[in-house]
Amino acid sequence: MTGNISRRAALKAGVGAVALVAAPAVVRAQAKEIVVGGAASHKPWVESIVQPFFEQKYTCKIVYEGTRSLVNLEKMQKNKGNQYLSVVQMDDPVMILAVKEGLLEKLTPDKVPNLANIRPDAVHMDGMWANYLAPWQGIAYNKNVLPNGVASWGDVWDAKFKGRVILPSLQNTEGLANLFMASHLATGKPMSEAEKDTDSGFKQLAKLKPNLLTVYTQMPQAFNLLEQGEAWVIVGALSSYALERKAAGAPIDLAAPKEGIFASPSGICMVQGAPAADLAYAYINEMLGAEVQGKISAPTFALPTNKSVPPPAGMPINATMHSIDWAFVAENRNEWVKRWDREMGI
Amino acid sequence: MKPRRERIDPVAWLALPAVAYLALVYALPLIMLLARGVMGPKGFTIEPLASFLSDPFNWQVIANTLKIAALVTVVCLLIGYPTAFALAWSSGWTQVVLLAAIILPLSVGVVVKAFAWQIVLRRDGILSQLMVSLGVWDEPVRLLFTETGLVLGAANVFLPFMILPIYSVVRLIDPRLAEAAATLGATPVYRFRRIVLPLTLPGVLAGVVFVFSLSIAMYVIPSLLIGDRYQTLATLVGRSFLFMRNEQLGSTTATVLLVLAVAVVVGSGVLARRLGRSA
Repeated sequence: MTGNISRRAALKAGVGAVALVAAPAVVRAQAKEIVVGGAASHKPWVESIVQPFFEQKYTCKIVYEGTRSLVNLEKMQKNKGNQYLSVVQMDDPVMILAVKEGLLEKLTPDKVPNLANIRPDAVHMDGMWANYLAPWQGIAYNKNVLPNGVASWGDVWDAKFKGRVILPSLQNTEGLANLFMASHLATGKPMSEAEKDTDSGFKQLAKLKPNLLTVYTQMPQAFNLLEQGEAWVIVGALSSYALERKAAGAPIDLAAPKEGIFASPSGICMVQGAPAADLAYAYINEMLGAEVQGKISAPTFALPTNKSVPPPAGMPINATMHSIDWAFVAENRNEWVKRWDREMGI
Repeated sequence: MKPRRERIDPVAWLALPAVAYLALVYALPLIMLLARGVMGPKGFTIEPLASFLSDPFNWQVIANTLKIAALVTVVCLLIGYPTAFALAWSSGWTQVVLLAAIILPLSVGVVVKAFAWQIVLRRDGILSQLMVSLGVWDEPVRLLFTETGLVLGAANVFLPFMILPIYSVVRLIDPRLAEAAATLGATPVYRFRRIVLPLTLPGVLAGVVFVFSLSIAMYVIPSLLIGDRYQTLATLVGRSFLFMRNEQLGSTTATVLLVLAVAVVVGSGVLARRLGRSA
């Protein structure tokens, strides 16, 4: 019996050792360090969860450079042909700009096997980038003022919300959902059709003007006003921020209204001409894998994209999840921002 | 006492560090910025400027920018002018405390101040409570995210730049001038208009130029106190570069902002000099 086990154990250890020696051999032969660009706000969980896990498994070093998505794009552009970033984690709309400028290397299942294990809608433009997490957008509300939450996106047009509603700017990634939801509310069309009818969306949003307290570009300021009760709702708030504030004790919560919620996915991509490419592929593969997603989805208040990872507790699993067509957004966004200035101004 | 003409006054060399520094970090980038606004793919072009000015929305933005900067300057002048006299005519500890009260707030960041103003300007904020309890307002009014709130907040931030130049001029006025006029029968109003005001005009002009230039170009204060629904030239410049990634539009807008600021500053200088002469 004991002999059996020890033989099995020895076999396992042997296989493990061979795998360890063989698989990352290429990796070890090359640079032992990769630079990952990402959001500054992600630094805490990358450095406390992802980094120790990855560095130990691959005996290497990760340098995480936290900044804004557009700055990451700028870094890739300025260093084209001589990149120092290997992997970049950024918002989907910025990914499209990076694809257009030929800065990304396509991800393929042979290099990134976990591509097959994530939801199909989390792989974009034929594998130019993939989503490793999906924070969701609903309506953040002040619990002291609205103890029953917000049942529908349409509720915030009610006159009782006069001067109490905050929207994100269309410049912000989280700002676009409102345009599409407004169109859906105005026309009653299914979201996939309503999304293209932005004219109706704008007309509906203009009707919200009397209720607006402000339109923000700086998220912390908006939440500050919500927590103090000056604002009652932030329409289109991100779970990654709202639920973190709630967990920190702020008197707010995030509603998943009946029309559904929006996925606001976080993307990861491979930089074209990335240094230490094998290590970079391994990093991306791990970010899409069940183990890492299982570790990071709860502390980031986001939904995993890996099909085998259950959503963390407290997530609206039954709500309809709408996805945004970011390619359509990229084509039209500057025009929309212009129209927004003219029609939503004070 | 006339400086010798044949060679450069050696004192001029003292300005060298400042000239070199400004040429490198200010003049050169500024020229590059302006050039980008007028350089198209086929060389020199005024097309970007023409298309900027043909959009009525941009004229609205220009009007917003000038209006807010002018109002901030006026509020600062109304509060700052008497304050400068109080400061100049006080002495001992009173003066030290007054000076500290004016200068110390400069060490607090603009963002911190803007957040403080949020608390003051809210519907249930200090200002609203005060006005309701004094019976001026019937019900709480929100000034946050309004033009009034923006002007009040910005005037607070820029007030020292109005007070200090006027103070430095008032300090130099010989009090005997007004006394002499009084002994000759000049009324207080006449003495102020004909003696004090003309003598303080250089300080007023400096203060106006400081405050106007600062408030026409302010970026953080409007984005926190009035938000994305109210664009000024400075916020448009920021957006063009940071969000739309349209460097030409950003440069064009920045050029318009610069020309307006310089025109108003130079114009007010000319006007003040003329007023000073006629007074």
